[in-house]
Parts: sequence; structure tokens; C-alpha cells
Amino acid sequence: MKYSAMLVAAGVLSAGTAFAQGAPIKIGVLYPLTGGGAVYGAPALVGHQMAIEELNAKGGIMGRKVESLERDDKLNPATASSTMKELITKDKVDIVLGGLASSVGLAMTEVSKQEKVVYISTIPKSIQITTDKLHKYVFRTSANTDQEGEAMAILAGKNKLAKICHLELDYAYGNDLEAGILKAMPKYAPDAKIVLTLKPKLGATDFNPFIPQVMAAGCDGVLSGLWGPHFVSWVKQAAPLGFFNKIKWISGGEVGSHEIAGELKGEYPDNVISNTYELWYKGNDPSHKEFQEKLAKKLNTQETPQWAALGYIGVMYAAAAMEKAKSTDPDKVAEALEGLSIGTPVGTLTIDAKTHQANIGQFWGPMVKKPDRAYRMMEPAEYIQPK
Amino acid sequence: MPQRRDLIASAIVVLLLALLPLAGSRYAIDLTTEVMIYALFALSLNVLIGFTGNISFGHAAYFAIGGYACAILLTTYGWPLALALPAAVVLAGLVAAVVGYFCVRLTQIYFAMLTLAFAMLVWGVAFKWKEVTGGDDGFTGIKMPEIIAHHVGYFYFTLVVVAAGIAALWVICHSAFGLTLVAIRENSVRAGFIGVDTRHMRWAAFTVAGTFGGLAGALFGMYHRGMYIENAFWTESANVLIMVLLGGIYSFIGPIIGAAVLHLLQTFTNQYTPYWPTVLGLILLVIVMVLPDGLIGLVRRVRARGGRP
Repeated sequence: MKYSAMLVAAGVLSAGTAFAQGAPIKIGVLYPLTGGGAVYGAPALVGHQMAIEELNAKGGIMGRKVESLERDDKLNPATASSTMKELITKDKVDIVLGGLASSVGLAMTEVSKQEKVVYISTIPKSIQITTDKLHKYVFRTSANTDQEGEAMAILAGKNKLAKICHLELDYAYGNDLEAGILKAMPKYAPDAKIVLTLKPKLGATDFNPFIPQVMAAGCDGVLSGLWGPHFVSWVKQAAPLGFFNKIKWISGGEVGSHEIAGELKGEYPDNVISNTYELWYKGNDPSHKEFQEKLAKKLNTQETPQWAALGYIGVMYAAAAMEKAKSTDPDKVAEALEGLSIGTPVGTLTIDAKTHQANIGQFWGPMVKKPDRAYRMMEPAEYIQPK
Repeated sequence: MPQRRDLIASAIVVLLLALLPLAGSRYAIDLTTEVMIYALFALSLNVLIGFTGNISFGHAAYFAIGGYACAILLTTYGWPLALALPAAVVLAGLVAAVVGYFCVRLTQIYFAMLTLAFAMLVWGVAFKWKEVTGGDDGFTGIKMPEIIAHHVGYFYFTLVVVAAGIAALWVICHSAFGLTLVAIRENSVRAGFIGVDTRHMRWAAFTVAGTFGGLAGALFGMYHRGMYIENAFWTESANVLIMVLLGGIYSFIGPIIGAAVLHLLQTFTNQYTPYWPTVLGLILLVIVMVLPDGLIGLVRRVRARGGRP
């Protein structure tokens, strides 16, 4: 008894000394925290902070405390570029995470290449980050537009769509997603034909010129990249015309997330099949429940946003890579990240050693009414994970 | 000719800047490089605002043209820097000349709105011409000559180019041409009566401003190894306008001070709070209510009160 008490005491002591050893490990992160992007950036940052708190509670990384340096990227690539340089040269961060817009992700990819510091892209989907602009120090833990496009093509095939109307926003993400879909269509939906492609502007709020064109084209399905507020506006303008009565709406851009369902509530239309990175009410991994409960407590709401998971996973990867490399040296961390598998709230993920892309999946499914809820929920939600 | 006192002061500033890399702080070098680029950008705009009395809301257009042109010539076409940089500057100047040709037909608010319209047109081209400019993904991965690829090398390169640019602008602004511009600013009708072709002169000022704005843009693009459509957006034009107003439009060095203060303030604020726009709003309020002639004006007033010349 006495002996075991001493053991415990020794354990506590050694844990205590381990905790205090070495200078803190600095993790820099950029998300949009003001302006239009803050709706996504702020919850992602909450997930990021939660992961860092957990790490520190467990004694940090390699026994060193973790310090988080958080900055606003203002959705502006030049600002992101300057701020990231500042984090590296002035604050001497060991790794940089984050970004939201594709352009910001690409700007950060460029700084990472110049400064030889590892950058993990946690939200930007631009395919270029893991293709043309790929280099030794850049990695991605979010999905990319090829994966999202492939899932949409699979769903078009499964739903036996014959005549498809294609809606994409006219900017980087929309164009890349369109390319991803077109690449995957011959394989997964060989019988489908795109009869109409329309490209509203990014930030558009008036879709009245587009809605009648789609309704007149006689499509049995729409493939859409209209995310967030664009989808909400489209629904508000098109649903009263009976738009969603006959058309299957297969959408990327995470309009199947609870954020959108909760915003539209009773106005959320029928026949929508969409995606989300995470659902507060459904997990595909045992660890999801604990993650979600913690997040709910932190945000003081049961219905937590999906973006937090992306911020969280980024930090988990950074920590796992440093532990594996037993170093914060960027070259060693980059090598450690190649092929690294870790357990996350959305299941085990692996970063491909060649493309530096994690095989993160998304939940896809129809958004259905629930008798006891004011909002729609995804059911059945299928987790589609790229191979 | 510049006064001896001014020449000595400038030489000391350049010398002190040249010694900066010896201090060994990478961060200070980067920050100073950025400030120098913005100083040139603000100074180029002041040829229009302070000297000619024409407010442009679209100066970012020439900054972006210079930046994109230099980036594309270096990277896509593999031109050497010695060709790409002058070509980019000339292109920015040419576009400014064409745009200016139309703009100077108008005055005051109509002039300002037209400059804004043309700038948004440039933004539109950068956004839509995806194959060449990279669209809203931006144009990243600019190929740099080995000699200036390192941050210290680039710092000296920027120092030399900006110092030369500022010297050139000083000569232009203090020449007979510059004084004529001041005459136009003070009383355009009267300047016309004494035989000044005010439209031609304003057109020339517009072209000069665009040319040096393009030079600043080229330096900016190479510094970041990327150009983005945000650099052509009206917010960038507003930013440089505020730099000029903050420093003081009726002084040659005012915009340099304004650029340094605003950029440093923005950088340091961002380290503590994301609410830079609030801070910027307060700065604007102070400029308009208390400092109509900028920081330089404030210094002059304080000196005058102290009874010194």
C-alpha cells in the first residue's frame, strides 16, 4: 500500500518535471476572424483551441507545453502571406495551420515553400495545393475538390440522374469543383448528361435570372457547388416556385451541415442530398461522442458546427507528426507527416506520402424532416471516404 | 535643387537602412521592406492628390498591373529581371496614360468615380483572365533571380529601387512641371488663364503616378512571390489613400510617414486583435476632425506654436 502510494507520487513528480521541460512548442494558425469568413473561421478556431487545451492537459507535445498563436487572415491572401511570415520570423512558430479561402491557402503554401516551415491546410480545398503547387512542406487535412466532385458524381449515378443541370459559383472553388465532377462523371455516372451549366457570381444574392432557366431545362437533377449563403438565397427564391418538387439537388459545399439546416429550419427544401465534414448527431468513430460533448460544453450549445472538427484535426496532425519525428525540425516533421495515420473524431485518417492529402471523408445524405425537430437532419448519413 | 540639409538627412536615412540587416533581425528586415514598398506606392499617389489636387480612388489598378506584369514576365515567360521590371513599369505607365486620357476630362468627384471604375475593370480582368493571372487563386510561385531570392538581397534591392524611385519623384515634383501642378491644384482656372494646358498637365501627372505605382506593385509581387486580385480591389486603393492623408498631402515626405505609420500600426494591431477595421475607422476620424493636413501638418503646427521656424 505504502509502496504503491510512493509509486504514484513518483509518477506525479516525474510527470510534473516532464511538463516543465523545454521551451513551449509554438503553433501558428490563421483563420478569417472578422468579416464574411468569420462564420467559418471562428468555429474552426474553437476546435483548434480545444485540441491545444487537450494537448496541454496531457502534458503537451514531447513533454513541452504548446502555445497557440492565432491571427486573422481577413480572407486576404496578401495579408495572410505577411502575417504568416511574421509568425515564422518574429514569433518563431514551429508549424502553421489554417486558412479558409483557396487563394489564402495557396498564398500560405507559397510562404511555407520559401521559409521551409510546415503548413497544414485545414480548410482550403483548392486542388492546386496538392498538385501543381505541392512541395515538401505543405499538407492538407481537409477534402479537395476532386474528392468532393467524385462523391457528387457517385451520387448522380446512384440516383440515376439522366439530365443534369450544373450550377457552380464563378470563382476558384466553383471552377475546380466543376473540373472534379467532370473528371469523375464518365466512371460513376456514365449515362448522365449535363444539359445546362450556369455560373452565378461569388457573393450573388439574386438568383432570379437563373432559376427559370434551370426549371425550363427539364433536368431531373442539379449538381451544385452553391455553398452557405448562396444556397440559402437560392432556396428562399426558388422554393416558392415549386423548384424542389421534382428536382434532386446534389450539392457540395457542405450545405448538409447543421449550420445551414439550423439557419433555414422549416424552409429547408425536399430532395436535397449534400455533405458535411461532421455531424453533431452522428459519428462514425467511437471518439466522436467525447469530442462532440466537449465541444458542446465549450460552445454552450448541443448543436455544434462542423468546422470545429477541421481545426481540431489540424492540431492533432501537427502534434502526432512532432511526436513521431521526436523533433520540431520542419524537415523531420514533414517526413513524419508523409503516410502518417492518426485516429480523429471522424475516424482514422492517413496522409498520402506522395500527394500529401489526407483521406478525410465527408458525410453525404438526404436532408429529411424530423417530427421532434425544428430543423432537418441528414438521414441516412453515409460516410464516403476516398481510397 | 534640394537643400543641403535635406540631402544629408536623406543620405543618413538610406545609410541607416542599409545597416539594418547587420542588426540580424529577419522580422525587422521584412517589415522594413514592406514599409519601403508602401512608401513608394503612397508617394506615387500623392503626385495626383497633393500636387495636382485630384483624388484617385483607383490607384491600386497600376500597383496591380505592375505587380502582375512583372510576375507573369518573370515566371510564365522567363524574362530576366532587368527586362521584366522595366517592362512592367512601362506597361503600368501606358495603362495609366490611356485611363488618364479619359479621366482628366472630368474633375472632382466625377474624376474620382471614373478612376474607381477603371480600377474595378482592372480587377475584373485579373479575376476573369484565369489562364494568365490565375484568377482568384492568385498568381503564386514567382520565379526570382538567385541574387535577390534571399531576404537580405531583396531588402537591398528594394532599398536601391525605392530610393531611386523617391529621388526621381522628388525631382519631378520640384521641377517646373511639379510647380505647375501645384498651380493647378491651387487654382486651376487661373492656371489656365496664364497659359497652362491644365488637362495635359493633369494627364502627365496621372501617368507619372501610375508608372511609379506600377514600380511599387512589381516590388510588392516579388516580395510576396505572389499577386492576388485583392491587390487590385478598391480596398487597396482606399488603404493607400488613407496612408497619404495620414502622412499629409501638402508635404513631399508626408506619404512616406503615413505609409510607415499605417502599415506598422496595422501589423502590430493584428498581433493583438482582429479588429483592425475599428482602429482604422478611428484613425480616419482623427485625420478628418483633427489632422486635416496629416502628421506632417501636426508637426508643423507644434513647431509654429513653439515659436521655431
